[in-house]
Amino acid sequence: MQSTGLALLSPVTTRINSDIILLYPSHSAQALSKTLESSFLDLFLLKKMKAGALELGSASKGSTPQAGVNRGVSILDFILRIVALVGTLASAIAMGTTSETLPFFTQFIRFRAQYHDLPSFTFFVVANSVVSTYLVLSLALSILHIVRSGAQGTRVVLIFFDAGMLALLTAGASAAAAIVYLAHKGNAKANWFAICQQYNSFCERISASLIGSFAAIVVLVLLVLLSAVALSRR
Amino acid sequence: MEKGDSTTINITSESSKERKGKAPLLAAPVMAATTNTREDGGNKRGIAIFDFVLRLCAMVAALAAAILMGTTDQTLPFFTQFFRFQASYDDLPTFTFFVIANAITSSYLVLSIPFSIVSIVRPHAVGPRLLLIIFDTVMVALTTAAAASAAAIVYLAHKGNSSANWLAICQQYNDFCQSTSGAVVASFIAVVIFVFLVVLSALALRKS
Repeated sequence: MQSTGLALLSPVTTRINSDIILLYPSHSAQALSKTLESSFLDLFLLKKMKAGALELGSASKGSTPQAGVNRGVSILDFILRIVALVGTLASAIAMGTTSETLPFFTQFIRFRAQYHDLPSFTFFVVANSVVSTYLVLSLALSILHIVRSGAQGTRVVLIFFDAGMLALLTAGASAAAAIVYLAHKGNAKANWFAICQQYNSFCERISASLIGSFAAIVVLVLLVLLSAVALSRR
Repeated sequence: MEKGDSTTINITSESSKERKGKAPLLAAPVMAATTNTREDGGNKRGIAIFDFVLRLCAMVAALAAAILMGTTDQTLPFFTQFFRFQASYDDLPTFTFFVIANAITSSYLVLSIPFSIVSIVRPHAVGPRLLLIIFDTVMVALTTAAAASAAAIVYLAHKGNSSANWLAICQQYNDFCQSTSGAVVASFIAVVIFVFLVVLSALALRKS
């Protein structure tokens, strides 16, 4: 009996408070050492299993603080989307409803300025309308991300469309900005006359409508950032 | 304080039979997790290499746009006593902005190549990828702004505008118009590549 115990376990030494207690396998000590060994191995097994389970992702993540941060990010994403929607819609409406008719006219020509006289402004109105429609449709996806914080594929889709809409909106806004700058300053070399000197309220209106669009551009950049951060924190 | 406050428990030898009996039960789930991350790493490395190649293409495109616009200069063969008919990029402030913005974009792309290489070497690193996606998004906005405003002016130069009484200068300055149109096209190519770069970084950031 004693020899089998020795084969199982070498002497277990415990040192408590400068007292050295050597447990050699004896009758009762053998049972004690066996229970010690089995309990250590049980702990070891449990730890490994827990680690394996965590790696497989079977543990629920609903109650971790990381999921809470992801949810906060999704809520911020939703709010920013609404802000961008308001900005683009306001810009489209402000540009689309400008019209100024000068008080003097000749027999053949009536001096009127509207947004569709300049193709860049038409493109601006169209781009802002498309982006505001996209933002309305993506609000649904944003709500889905609030409810299910773990969705990854839809976040990548959202980033793709957000980047595409960012490019479209920036193109429209900067093309209109170039024409507005030309309308304010003119160009002596190309013999282009600054029309703002005659069409005052038209100029003010088109300049102000650029603001909402550029604010929406900044918000779209932030949206892409937020989605990227939420993806990487998963 | 007493001398030995520690507890030392040594279990030194365990028979090999017992070790063999316990290990395979634990090995299976742990092994599955490591092969998944290894496959993932291979995917992410492929995405990072594609990202690197696209970055080089975008750098070439942006540099070409800046150089093409910056070196156009056309002097018409006729001139009056006081006036010389000359067109270059700094006559129009929009074209100046175009040259500067494309120069910024191409230098950013040169500086971002080390980060791209880091994400090839270490596929699971999140930091460089996140940095790249943030700056790539900002560069999308900047490059699109430059390209689109220059495109608006080039369109105006080609067509003119009767309502505003703006003459189409391309009818006289042919070469100038051609070079500026080519530069705008190159810049738009760089914009499309940037959008792809953003989507690639987003794909690589996923943790599956």
